[in-house]
This record gives sequence, C-alpha cells and structure tokens, in this order.
Amino acid sequence: MFDSAMPPKSKPLRSGGFNKNTSSIFDPLAGQIHNSEGYGATRGKIDHGVTENPYERRFSPYDFNGGTCVAIAGSDYAVIAADTRLSSGYEILSRDMSKLHTLTDKCILGSAGCKTDVDQLRSVLDIKMKMYHHNHRKTMTTPAVAQMLGNTLYYKRFFPYYAFNVFGGIDEEGKGAVYSYDAIGSFERTPVTATGSGQAYIIPLLDNVIAHRNRLDEKRDLLKEEVVEIVKDAFISCGERDIYTGDKVEIAVITKDGIEKTYFDLKAD
Amino acid sequence: MSKQRTTQPITTGTSVIGLVYDGGVMIAADTLLSYGSMAKSFNTPRLYNIEDRILLGASGEYSDLQEIVAKVKALALQETTNSMESIYVDRKLPAKSLWNYLRAVMYQKRSKMNPYWNDVVVAGWDDQADKPFLGTVDKLGTTLQENLVATGFGGYLAMPLLREKWRNDLSEGEARALLEDAMKVLFYRDCRASARIQLAKCTSDGCIVSEPYELDHSNGWNAPSMIRAAGDLDGDGGW
Repeated sequence: MFDSAMPPKSKPLRSGGFNKNTSSIFDPLAGQIHNSEGYGATRGKIDHGVTENPYERRFSPYDFNGGTCVAIAGSDYAVIAADTRLSSGYEILSRDMSKLHTLTDKCILGSAGCKTDVDQLRSVLDIKMKMYHHNHRKTMTTPAVAQMLGNTLYYKRFFPYYAFNVFGGIDEEGKGAVYSYDAIGSFERTPVTATGSGQAYIIPLLDNVIAHRNRLDEKRDLLKEEVVEIVKDAFISCGERDIYTGDKVEIAVITKDGIEKTYFDLKAD
Repeated sequence: MSKQRTTQPITTGTSVIGLVYDGGVMIAADTLLSYGSMAKSFNTPRLYNIEDRILLGASGEYSDLQEIVAKVKALALQETTNSMESIYVDRKLPAKSLWNYLRAVMYQKRSKMNPYWNDVVVAGWDDQADKPFLGTVDKLGTTLQENLVATGFGGYLAMPLLREKWRNDLSEGEARALLEDAMKVLFYRDCRASARIQLAKCTSDGCIVSEPYELDHSNGWNAPSMIRAAGDLDGDGGW
C-alpha cells in the first residue's frame, strides 16, 4: 500500500564495473558492462531499444487538433481570425469547425489546441460570465474577461486545459484590446498575437507589418479593412507550410457597433 | 487499495460510418467482435435503437459500449417517464441532448485518466430544426457534428469515398448503396472487419435497425488489382 511512497527500486538492468569474484584477471567479462542474465548473455544480443530500456505505453488525455488563431488590436477595432480545420494526427476530422467563441458583443475568444479542452473551457467561461451577469447586473468588460480567463486557466495548473488562446475585443475606452495567453494562464495585453500550429509562420510577418518592427518608413494607423487583407495573406502563407492550417479562415472584426464575421477560403490540401 | 484504469482496449469493434441523406440519417457497422487478432464473434450488433428516436453505435472496446448503452437506455427511459412534463407531453430525449450528455460523460472519464475507450456515433432526428442529426464523440470528449462521419479505420478508407460521392439530396436508396460500398471496401482492406454488416436509419417517423446481413463479396477477389498487382503494370500502382 505504501509502495508508491518509497523511492522506486532501482535494479539496474546494466550493471557496470563491479566484479563478483576477486580473480578478475581470469574472468573474461570482468569490467565489461553485462546484463543480469548471466555469463554469456551479452554475447550476440542485439538491443532493439526496448528490452534494455523499458517504457510504458499509456493513455494520453490530450490530443492535438491543430489550427492557428490570430488577433490584432487597432485604434478602435480588434480583428480576430482563425482557420476552420480540425485534425487529429494526419487525419482531417472537419473542414468547418469554428475556433472563435463570442463571449460578449465586445469580445471574442479564439482557441487552438485540444478541442475537447477548448470546449470545456468555453463552457466554464460561459457559466462564469452568466453568473457575473446575475450577480452584478451587467456584462463583463473585456479586461475583466481577460483576467478571468487567466485565472480559469491557472485553476487547472496541475492538469492544464490544452488550449492556446487569443482573446480580442474592445476595451472600456473604445480601443482595440488583444491579449495573448499560454496554456496555464499567463497573459499579457499585446498589440498583436498569434497562437497554434502556425504561430511561428504568422508572428514574424505580423511583427513587421502590423507592429512595424524593423522598418524604416513611418508608422501609421492601419484601417480595419487593410488589417483584414493582411490577415488573409498571413493565413495563405501559413496554410502553405503548416499541415494543420487550411480549408477556411473565419475573420471577425469587433467594433463598438458589434461583430462582423467573414469567411475566406484556403487550400484544402 | 489499488485502483484499476483503462490501459488498452481488449475486445473491440471496428469502424462505424454514417451519413445524412434527404429525409434522414443512416449509419452502418459490421458485426465482427475482435479479440486482438482473433475473430471472437461474427454476429455481435453494435448499433442500437434508443427509444425509437436515437441511434447509437460505437467502435472500440465492446464492454465500454455495453456500459454506455445501458446508461443511455436508462437515461432515455427516465426522460420519458420521470421528467416534469412527461405527464402532459410525449417527451423523448433529443439526439443532440444525448450527444452533449455523452460528451460530458466521456470528458469526465478521460479527466480521471480512465476513459470509455470508444468512438461513439449518435444519430437521430432533430425536431427543433426539423433536420437529421449526426454527430460523434470520441474517448477524449471531442465532438463533431457533420453530414458524414466515420470512426477508426473508416476515417482513412471510407471517408474519402463518402466525401467524393456524397450530395445533400441523396435518396435513401443511394445512401444505402453508398454505405454498403464503403463497408465493402472496409471489409477488403481492414483486417478487423467482416462482410456481415448492420444498417440503421432514422427519419422523422422513427428509427429502424436492420438485422445483420452478409454483403455480397463473391466478386471481391476478381478485382483487377487483386489478380495482378497494379505495381507490376509499370503504371502508377504505387510500390
């Protein structure tokens, strides 16, 4: 019963260096690494990587269902976009699965990663937001939702939601607000973010074009229509190289007047 | 006291496939029960009719499927007899509600690292939307609602065929022919499949699950690629 509390019994499968008998000069195997199966067992034995180093096959509660999400904050808008492909291994499960979840009329959560955990996270957030509404008689503000998402993720610090989130919306001053997260809830307000399988393809592009890094020309505020075109280009490039990204992009533009969604087709390969 | 957990499926069923057609939804599965590479039983149905409203089928561990079906049948019966409205209204458990409920069950089991090792297919008629409903839940709780579904090997062998031939105005006969064709391909190429299959359909009038019957595979070994390997033909036969 208390076996799990004891340190694991270490019986090395390879015992090196020590001699069983004192007359080591007569023992041809003295000093050699030999396995515990006895004299002569080492000779002619081929290790296929399993016998000498046993491993355990076990059930994994996680699956990687792929996809990429992007969010960009503007002066009075936020653009949040994600592809619509759901995969598992090398299989495509669906070409039309939304990764965006509307939380209030002013903010949207985009999540890639393990779909079942994402669904659970959305469920939990919806319930919490409803309770907030019942308790405070108002809808949660975007920064408040951002904080709550961080807290919700950290709550499962020791069995995380395998969800890679981007959160975008309009803050209380009417400006675009975008927050990026890791799987256990550390978050930060950023002007631009991308997450998921295609993150590495998109972030450098957005760093240059939106955040204006390493450019010599004048920085100017981009219109939401321009940003949408840049997002489309980013996803085309991403879909080209990332096998988990493709099929369609769902683009949502959030302004004080509400949320507008458009769809843009990508290659289905 | 030690606790046991699922590590691997022992007695299994292979793919379940399904599609939505004009006026209903149809699913199919073979009736082979495998014990590793042993064919344990040739006549085990894996498609169930729940309260004449919902079709349930699953691949994976058969004992877990039996457990799920027992729980679901009890739940559906409860819905029609114990629910608040049942004395006034003829209420039956909607397929979509069951699908959501199963999702919650599967997610909880996986979160305890002890899943029901199944890919479950749920089909029925959605009265509210007046359309057929077809969805899946896997052992992690991943849900999908689609017009075409296939679990296990079916995802690789049958799905491409279904995607190619499916239209949203398929008649019942065309739907059946397409599913039988896909099941035949699975029999040829999936080692854990058999030609003895079961079909089930659900329309707004209710559900029917057929008795198991044998597909006609008498011509199977006469297909050109079986007689002479396409790789020999200097064309693109692979290999």
